[in-house]
Amino acid sequence: MTRIVVDPITRIEGHLRIEAEINNGKITDAFSSGTMVRLIEEILRGRDPRDAWAFVGRVCGVCTTVHSLASIRAVEDALDITIPPNAELVRNLMFCAQNVQDHVIHFYHLHALDWVDVVSALKADPKKTSEIAQSISNWPKSSPGYFSDLQKRLTKFVESGQLGIFANGYWGHPAYKLPAEINLIGVAHYLEALEWQKEIAKVHTIFGGKNPHPNFLVGGMACSISLDDASGINAERLAYVGKLLKDAQQFVEQVYIPDLLAIAPYYLDWGAIGGGLGNFMAYGDLSTSGYRDVGNYKFPPGVILNKDLSKIHEVDLRNDSEVEEYITNSWYEYAGGDGVGLHPWKGETKLKYTGPKPPFDFLNTEDKYSYLKTPRWKGHAMEVGPLARMLVGYASGRPEFKEVVDYALSALNVPATALFSTLGRTAARGLEAKLVAGWGLEFYDQLINNIKNGDTRMANTEKFKPETWPKKAMGVGHTEAPRGALAHWIVIEDQKIANYQLVVPSTWNASPRDKEGKSSAYEAALKDTPVHDVNQPLEILRTIHSFDPCLACAVH
Amino acid sequence: MIIETSTKRKTYYEELTEKGYSRRDFMKFCTMIAAYMGLQSSGVAQVTEALKTKPRLPVIWMHFQECTCCSESFIRSSHPIVADIILDKLSLDYTETLMAAAGHQAEEAMHKTMKEHYGEYVLCVEGSVPLGADGVYCMIGGKSSLDILHEVAEGAKAIICWGSCASNGCVQAAKPNPTTATPIHKIIKNKPIIKVPGCPPIGEVMAGTIVHILTFGTLPALDGIGRPKAFYSKRVHDSCYRRPYYDAGLYVESFDDENAKRGYCLYKVGCKGPSTYNACGVMRWNNGVSFPIQSGHGCFGCSEESFWDNGPLYQRLPNIAGFGIEATADTVGKVALGVTAAGIAAHAVATNLRKKKMIDNLISEGKESEQELKAE
Amino acid sequence: MNTTVLSKPHKLRRVFVWQLPVRVYHWLNALSILVLIATGFFIGNPLAILSGKEASDLYIMGTVRFIHFVAAYIFFFNFAFRIYWGFVGNKYAGWKNFIPTNKQFFKDMWAVIKTDIFMTKGSELHTIGHNRVAGFIYFLTFIAFGIQCLTGFGLYSATSDWWFPNLFAWVPAVVGGDFMLRQIHHWTMWFFILFTVVHVYLVFYHDYVEGRGEISSMGGGWKFIEEEIFEANKKAEEKKK
Ligand code: HEM
Ligand code: HEM
Ligand code: NFV
Ligand code: SF4
Ligand code: SF4
Ligand code: F3S
Ligand SMILES: [Mg+2]
Repeated sequence: MTRIVVDPITRIEGHLRIEAEINNGKITDAFSSGTMVRLIEEILRGRDPRDAWAFVGRVCGVCTTVHSLASIRAVEDALDITIPPNAELVRNLMFCAQNVQDHVIHFYHLHALDWVDVVSALKADPKKTSEIAQSISNWPKSSPGYFSDLQKRLTKFVESGQLGIFANGYWGHPAYKLPAEINLIGVAHYLEALEWQKEIAKVHTIFGGKNPHPNFLVGGMACSISLDDASGINAERLAYVGKLLKDAQQFVEQVYIPDLLAIAPYYLDWGAIGGGLGNFMAYGDLSTSGYRDVGNYKFPPGVILNKDLSKIHEVDLRNDSEVEEYITNSWYEYAGGDGVGLHPWKGETKLKYTGPKPPFDFLNTEDKYSYLKTPRWKGHAMEVGPLARMLVGYASGRPEFKEVVDYALSALNVPATALFSTLGRTAARGLEAKLVAGWGLEFYDQLINNIKNGDTRMANTEKFKPETWPKKAMGVGHTEAPRGALAHWIVIEDQKIANYQLVVPSTWNASPRDKEGKSSAYEAALKDTPVHDVNQPLEILRTIHSFDPCLACAVH
Repeated sequence: MIIETSTKRKTYYEELTEKGYSRRDFMKFCTMIAAYMGLQSSGVAQVTEALKTKPRLPVIWMHFQECTCCSESFIRSSHPIVADIILDKLSLDYTETLMAAAGHQAEEAMHKTMKEHYGEYVLCVEGSVPLGADGVYCMIGGKSSLDILHEVAEGAKAIICWGSCASNGCVQAAKPNPTTATPIHKIIKNKPIIKVPGCPPIGEVMAGTIVHILTFGTLPALDGIGRPKAFYSKRVHDSCYRRPYYDAGLYVESFDDENAKRGYCLYKVGCKGPSTYNACGVMRWNNGVSFPIQSGHGCFGCSEESFWDNGPLYQRLPNIAGFGIEATADTVGKVALGVTAAGIAAHAVATNLRKKKMIDNLISEGKESEQELKAE
Repeated sequence: MNTTVLSKPHKLRRVFVWQLPVRVYHWLNALSILVLIATGFFIGNPLAILSGKEASDLYIMGTVRFIHFVAAYIFFFNFAFRIYWGFVGNKYAGWKNFIPTNKQFFKDMWAVIKTDIFMTKGSELHTIGHNRVAGFIYFLTFIAFGIQCLTGFGLYSATSDWWFPNLFAWVPAVVGGDFMLRQIHHWTMWFFILFTVVHVYLVFYHDYVEGRGEISSMGGGWKFIEEEIFEANKKAEEKKK
């Protein structure tokens, strides 16, 4: 038996450490640890609830916006504020832009190098590459000349000796299976995606003033609609947003999805690896008629247990026996002892590091071993994320979900069970981006229609002043972040934050074991993952990256 | 297969022409960079020359306590050629966010650069470093970030502190700073340090800062706090297009009111532009698309030290701890004024009681004189 | 400091206390501070002007700030002049009246506090120039003037190209940026407001309970001093020589 450590796990957000036990070329046990903490929940205590969105926004710059969104919703819930329809739509548009951008960046810049061998691309035949590219998509940048120029550039780059971010990659590892031509397409789109991601971010800049970390507002949005003023949301700004959304849809449909479907067939074995828990959860989001109208969510909420798609369980975030956080294996302490689970409204965040003093080689995984708390739903470990959302949508019988999932399954000619895997997770993310890119355009049309009909309200400031608030109020706000179900719980007392707790998608997925020793999603998914060479943990990266880890989020 | 790297380095100009960029493209880029750096037209030639002849610069980019939005902002840097050069053409030898290698291989890549380019590489730091509890609040590869920072700073030619985290501690250093998050300049004292604050900084500001070093081989001119003058010497307020409304006395009174729709100044809903040094008003965000104020929200001073503790966001004056949520200096002042007035009133009454005799004497003295005058 | 128990009736001597430069300084200072407080308040918390006018027709904040800065310059140079006069003016203007240099200064302060604030009966302490407490408060006031000038010009330096305000460009860095600077500037304003209220009251108080022409002294420069105190002071002066 060998115990290996991969730390830092790169091409993610934050500081994640994996320790894995390997027997006969397979992982038999794995431990996931977050090794950086900031304690933002404690920093929020005593502050103005209207400011919380800005603080929690800084939990993460990769999924930037999602925490701010959950936060203003939690405050609006606590204070019973209903926001104008335009503000809902603008928030939805920002959601869509963020989701698609994050997924594309994940696929090309954080995940692709697990599947695409950059060095092999040097051997590709540009003409053949062009033929393949044109056969899978009508994306215009696909001429032989384009690919041969790129290849030349790549060759020079490699020959220059300074490989920069590509240095020390696992190039040539036998687990890389793509033909050289598809590797070259992958590299081309790596660079194109890098160009494109900064464009779609401009939707945030227009409504929120900047990206990363656009501005939000309790009660609505700060960007007034003002057709007669250069500084408001006017015809030019709206046209700009429309163009960005259309370009995004085009990029997803002509680049992302075709690449996904071109790469996947070479890795179908990964449709049986990395499945993990089999429990999936979504809180739902993106309503066409306001956040409070759960029935009209594009992403329906629900829980799937044990891969049983025939039954969807309901989730209630207010019920104090559903979502609970444990710290049995986390570097914290609870007033009521390490064994209890706390609903976030009663949550506590008190640090207590008991791990080894750095520098160290191994964590003591018998004891506490991570800065993540361990969330559970009715005691169950849950996987959240695009796969969970696609499955909940699919199992809820939503036609849009059925259509894309069935399309992908038939294109790859695999059974539905292949969804419960590393490959399934990665594919679900792409399919979701396709749905969300389309929905963005729907919300855009709705916004234009509203304005046409004379509704230009963007914020409800009736209860903006603290004098109008009750002495005590509690709220919860949720959203579907790119990495999964996200909710924030707030307790307001005397117009200040008395308690603020975030339970974050990567906390669900990357957390350490619970008090019964049950693993969360990462650890469960790593089990049985093959490892060809213990010195080159490529397979570990594949499964872990399929979750798109964000550790700054997870620990916060 | 792990590719062995040599140390042969290419100039930007070589890189670019090989990539098919024309000389014209190259000149355009140089002009833009020169303009960023506030150089006269003669400076363009200098930039051009520098980029034509200077070899590539190895960069190690560390992440400590942070949110990675500075990296994200950096890759938003919009002038394509800049993104290209900075991302592909700098030798970004270590950056956890983008590098292919992980674990031991990643650390190996970093140590190779630290050794082979000792004294030559630029260290970029994103994030603060927690000093307390043996550094356990941020650990990478089983080492504390504090140890790593010391180790990697050792051979660095200069340190760039990206964002407010590395420059001033940012959100995790906000009160009560439970993890003792500490900015880099308080830890490393023997290296030139450039602070590029902002939460995050504008992508083009980040690119511009690096390009300055590449071009001139020197650090850009810094202000008293260590920020590049080129981007941090003017207040947001002084370059704000809503400034005429400020001067006119026309203000948004609450969000989305009539005045907001007219684009009036955001001063009264908490805009901190008047005390914030940043390039937002001039360069704007994401290739000039907008900036916070243009999109209706006040500046909250994200490039200033301790801006998180200068809240609440929607008030011009901060609250004073211990005086309730809405107690500002003015509230305290008004109370003090009331107390003073009451004190004065009490004192005036007391005077007339306690010093009655003396005052009576004075009065009678005066009356006597009056009588004497009458008598005459 | 000379003390005497006064006897009735008063015989008063006319004494020239405040030289013209001190008087001019005083009123220029008082006026500029009142203007600075009023404009400073407006800058800190401008009124809602829901005017239908175009921004180009209005310049209210601009004007208020302009007045603030003009008053600030007058205030600064006037203050600088007063510091100079503390070295060359008469003995009532000298800096020794303000800055505690020995134990006696504090003892006398305590005596004044006892009689003027707590109003214990007993010996009234009468002086010709400032009494010790007043002098000390003015000393604090001068420090506050200094703070207000540093913070004010520190803020102003970013908007000015002239070398003079730029002498203060280092100030923001010392306190951690403009934000803190503005706060200090704002808080210090409240010191002046409170000072003014108390100061004006006390001037009236002294005028009322002592009847020595306290208020008018800042107009004509003359105070009316009791014969006994006058003599005692004279003796003390002669002794020194
Ligand atoms: C007794 C003297 C003074 C008082 C009471 C006073 C009061 C104030 C107040 C209350 C503010 C508004 C601060 C805020 O709420 O943010 C202000 C702003 C300001 N004051 Fe003064 N001030 C005084 C002297 C000065 C001096 C000597 C200067 C030197 C130039 C000065 C320059 C400024 C500047 C530059 C501002 C900021 C204006 C802006 O950014 O629009 N002040 N002052
Ligand atoms: C009705 C208004 C005022 C009257 C009648 C008045 C009168 C006087 C008098 C009689 C003195 C000499 C007191 C003594 O013997 O200690 C004095 C000193 C002084 N007053 Fe006022 N004052 C007025 C307003 C102000 C204001 C508004 C300020 C500034 C905030 C001010 C600042 C000072 C200062 C700094 C001194 C010390 C002067 C020196 O020795 O240089 N006064 N005032
Ligand atoms: N986990 C996580 Fe996030 C996301 N998506 C937040 O809620 O990444 Ni930074
Ligand atoms: S400075 Fe702000 S934006 Fe940058 S990493 Fe820190 S928290 Fe994120
Ligand atoms: S919006 Fe802010 S920065 Fe712009 S003029 Fe008004 S106060 Fe100044
Ligand atoms: S909040 Fe930050 S982004 Fe610019 S406008 Fe203010 S400095
Ligand atoms: Mg939490």
